[in-house]
Amino acid sequence: MIKHLKILEFAISSLWRRKFKNLGIIFVFSLIIFVLSSILLLTYSFKKEAIAVLEGAPELIVQRISAGRHALMPVEYMKKVEKIPGVGAVIPRLWGYYYDISTGGNYTVMAEYSGLKDLVNIMEGGFTGEKGTCIIGKGISDARFAGIGSIIPIIGADGKVRKLKTAGIFTDESRIITNDLIIVTPDDFRDIFNLPDNMVTDIVVQVYNPTEVDNVARKIKKILPDTRPITKNEILRTYDTLFDWRSGMVLTMFLGAILAFIILAWDKATGLSAEERHEIGILKAIGWETSDVMELKFWEGLVISSLSFLTGLIGGYVHIFFFGASVFSPALKGWSVIFPEFHLMPYINPYQIVVLLFMTVIPYMAATIVPSWKAAITDPDVVMRG
Amino acid sequence: MEAIIRIEKASKCINRGRPNEIWPVKDVSLQILRGEVVVLKGPSGSGKTSLLSLIGCMSRPTEGRILIHGRDVAKLPERFLTDIRRRLFGFIFQQFNLIQGITVRENIMLPLYPTERSFRDMKDRAEELMESLGIIERQHFRVKGLSGGEQQRVAIARALINDPEVVLADEPTAHLDTKLSKDLIEILRKLKGEGKTIVIATHDPLVYEQDIIDRIIEMRDGRIR
Repeated sequence: MIKHLKILEFAISSLWRRKFKNLGIIFVFSLIIFVLSSILLLTYSFKKEAIAVLEGAPELIVQRISAGRHALMPVEYMKKVEKIPGVGAVIPRLWGYYYDISTGGNYTVMAEYSGLKDLVNIMEGGFTGEKGTCIIGKGISDARFAGIGSIIPIIGADGKVRKLKTAGIFTDESRIITNDLIIVTPDDFRDIFNLPDNMVTDIVVQVYNPTEVDNVARKIKKILPDTRPITKNEILRTYDTLFDWRSGMVLTMFLGAILAFIILAWDKATGLSAEERHEIGILKAIGWETSDVMELKFWEGLVISSLSFLTGLIGGYVHIFFFGASVFSPALKGWSVIFPEFHLMPYINPYQIVVLLFMTVIPYMAATIVPSWKAAITDPDVVMRG
Repeated sequence: MEAIIRIEKASKCINRGRPNEIWPVKDVSLQILRGEVVVLKGPSGSGKTSLLSLIGCMSRPTEGRILIHGRDVAKLPERFLTDIRRRLFGFIFQQFNLIQGITVRENIMLPLYPTERSFRDMKDRAEELMESLGIIERQHFRVKGLSGGEQQRVAIARALINDPEVVLADEPTAHLDTKLSKDLIEILRKLKGEGKTIVIATHDPLVYEQDIIDRIIEMRDGRIR
């Protein structure tokens, strides 16, 4: 035991002797881990956020499709869906997008409906149900400097301005769901967007037995061929694919840089200098075994790679969860410009971290140990003569 | 007297089968007795250092046998050779071969790092040697800043830290002036007095003309003359 501790002590002293070279390797290595871990942490957190957001989402939404595009749905469709066995309630929804010229942001406008009642817990103020009132997300509140009681002017489909009074503001913590949201009354919604009374945007279908959701969706598609039933699971899968694709895209963007760094680090780490070869020769000559030299190099590699891994990982964590992933967020978030301050919850997938560890630390250690092993198995007098 | 080392028809070939093949040691037989001070004498390129490497188990003979305490070590696995090197030999190299960035004390203790001896034990032994060689004040200095004579003493202390039976010295006065060379001879005399067997490869008359030398083996072109 004491032998290993002494070799570790000597390894640390050896690293310190070549501190400039080793600090350079640690810097480059950390940078690679930083980029990779940032992408992994960010993608995973987005997925987890998406899952969290969808937790309260309806199990089944039905939209009408016309010419391959989402179209308004006649209210008669609801009656046909209600008749399907297993269907509990069918709730109509009214929602759309509004481009606000003054702030340059896209808002999601939604009419109040019973499914939104839980949102009361995440707002200041509350639903009044009065015509001409609205509830806004924190992003809109910040962008328009609006508080409770402030007037939000909205230009309707007829070009005329409607003045909506702010009755509530969603809390900062609910930004991921509510940042760009405006909730209005159904009457105001129809008025703003000039929507006929017999039309809705889509419908939420409540199914008694959650395992029957896919069956109900199939039946709806059969009865109403021009509709698209969307289950929560489908949305989750889409999020998964979307963020995987985005992280792949970012990774591709950085691939060139990462490769250049890897080559540089590889060259620095694996090239045994004449001085190092000479040292190995000295150690062998004075009684160190090949396995002792290997242990020395193992400790050196472990110290460098562990230090770099931790530095890169902590850097990635701080970058993502404290600085809002400022380097990658434009590519990975892909939201509207209204998301200026978006704080992710720190979710970490231990499996990904372990994979990252094995894909970086192990190759590095192998790359540094092999040349040392080659030098160490040679007769010491050959190594020492160079 | 008992022969510690016996060499039988040993030859060493480098780059065998290639156009640049050379035989630095050719068909050498000799024996070294316990407590003897032997000089391998010869001009540069005569094979002194290569023969010293063979004696010290730093390389293996291409042909012939090397017997240490009667046991042929030429064919032993590397691990056993290292063990023999560590227990039996202390090396003093021509270029000192110290590790530059570490302190005098660390350099001296270096052979004992891959052993189970405690730090305290290693430190005590190193201090004892530094004291006897007059370099105790330099123990925390990095070897880079030491004079040639001091570096030589550090190399000697390192060679002696494992209390070897045999001390091998390769051109030990090559980088020393006359005074320092004489100091070295005195150290070797002391070692001889302690019963150490010493083999020195040199072509310096200041060394091989000393009265402590028991035997001179002359070499030329890899052979004993």
